[in-house]
Amino acid sequence: MKKESILPESRDTAFRDQVLKTHVGEKILTCMQCGTCAGSCPVSHEMDYTPRQLVRMVQLGLKKEVLSSNTIWICTTCFSCSVRCPRGIHPTELMEALKPIAVAEGITNKNAKFDNIFSNIIKNSGRASEFLLISRYSLAEPGMIKQLPFGLSMMTKGKLPLSIDRMENTGELEAIFKLGEPKKEINGIKEKETGKEKEPEPAKTEENKTAEAETKK
Amino acid sequence: MKYSYYPGCASHGTAVDYRSSVEAVFSRLGIGLEEVKNWNCCGALHVPDRTVKTALSARTLASAKGLDMATPCNLCYSNLMRARTELQDSTLRTRVNEALTEKYDGNTKPKHLLEVIVKDLGLPKLQEQVKKPLKIRAVPYYGCLLTRPENNFDSTENPRSLDDLILSLGAVPVKYYYKTKCCGGPILITNEDLALNLAKELLVMAKESGADCIVVTCPMCHLQLDAKQKEVESKYDIKIDLPVIYFTQLIGLAMGLDPKNLGLSQHLVPTDKLITKIGGK
Ligand code: SF4
Ligand code: SF4
Repeated sequence: MKKESILPESRDTAFRDQVLKTHVGEKILTCMQCGTCAGSCPVSHEMDYTPRQLVRMVQLGLKKEVLSSNTIWICTTCFSCSVRCPRGIHPTELMEALKPIAVAEGITNKNAKFDNIFSNIIKNSGRASEFLLISRYSLAEPGMIKQLPFGLSMMTKGKLPLSIDRMENTGELEAIFKLGEPKKEINGIKEKETGKEKEPEPAKTEENKTAEAETKK
Repeated sequence: MKYSYYPGCASHGTAVDYRSSVEAVFSRLGIGLEEVKNWNCCGALHVPDRTVKTALSARTLASAKGLDMATPCNLCYSNLMRARTELQDSTLRTRVNEALTEKYDGNTKPKHLLEVIVKDLGLPKLQEQVKKPLKIRAVPYYGCLLTRPENNFDSTENPRSLDDLILSLGAVPVKYYYKTKCCGGPILITNEDLALNLAKELLVMAKESGADCIVVTCPMCHLQLDAKQKEVESKYDIKIDLPVIYFTQLIGLAMGLDPKNLGLSQHLVPTDKLITKIGGK
């Protein structure tokens, strides 16, 4: 894998602060680069940057490199890194927090596509029908056609029902999914909920706006 | 004993075999599983928004009606546990509850079915139901999310509950260093090569241990190790041919239940040889 050298000019402190403000951001600055996360990660050998490197890059505000790396997308969410990190940093949750930021930055890849299809199915029917999921994703990713024989073998075993599994009453879903939209969460940033302040503070909202404006550029 | 039961989406699809065995075994054990009405998906690993994901689990937890909530799936279990911890934050809870008809009060305790059997029922009680001690060697595979990021019943680094369960059924749990290593399931659809590579490592190590089968506790692990095993074999030009069975199926076999009622004929890797070895039909 080819890596370009990273120049000091590519540091973006607004991005760093944006990540530090997410629900997992607080501890990121305490990373001591011990590499326990990278050593525990089952897929670090395939990553552009290991979890350890990613944490350091977030500290430095290397926005472009962080958001365009494959690291956050091939993370399997296995939590091996999180349970072992001696500093209580949760790299797994860092990956999760970075995904919506990357999407807001216009990153499109098959993993983002899949997550989007998955979310929409849940939003509409409340349950993940595997058949619907695979067929929608196959339309978006034509390479999936080679999975057809596998799908058929599952069907013969009665394990891929064609009927769509739905909740009987999807009434609450709209309100639940709305929770992901309001002002308090912009680009996936959830402001620290201290238990005191319920309304978003104007100052922070401003900052978020700036961050958002910058991402549009 | 009675639990509120959250089956998870896979129970209606790729894990119908798991579901049959859960129903057969739990009714034999006299453990009541009351399925949550109108349940929703936990968001698995793919609903990106945190608050939404937490709210999806909160809605499920709120429907437990004072019972502990049992689930057969590692992913669902992990998500419910995470949500429960996060919802200790009262501001978040208030916000989430605004979207819910039935409010979550913070009291529901999520449990994996393995925990229900090993901890709540207890292995001595289980042993009373063993009609046919299993004279086989089995790989205990826990997967990642049964014990991570947190759980109430076993060690995160070196869990023992499934080993103990296997032992109590008369079988030998083999030493398996990959017992909590990720199977690649979550990235199977989007990064197939990498996912199959992870599965291959697990399968090869299991095969080398000389075991008769792998025992799993999660529909995703089962999909990777059983349903994808043929593809792993052809991709890497290796022979594995190792049955992968759910822990509830293992229990059912030891109870002498009919393998058909345990969904064992629905696996992609044939289980007949294993069943013959055990002395089943
Ligand atoms: S394990 Fe924690 S402290 Fe060590 S490098 Fe990884 S994130 Fe940093
Ligand atoms: S959660 Fe992701 S980054 Fe952490 S060890 Fe697992 S795959 Fe690697």
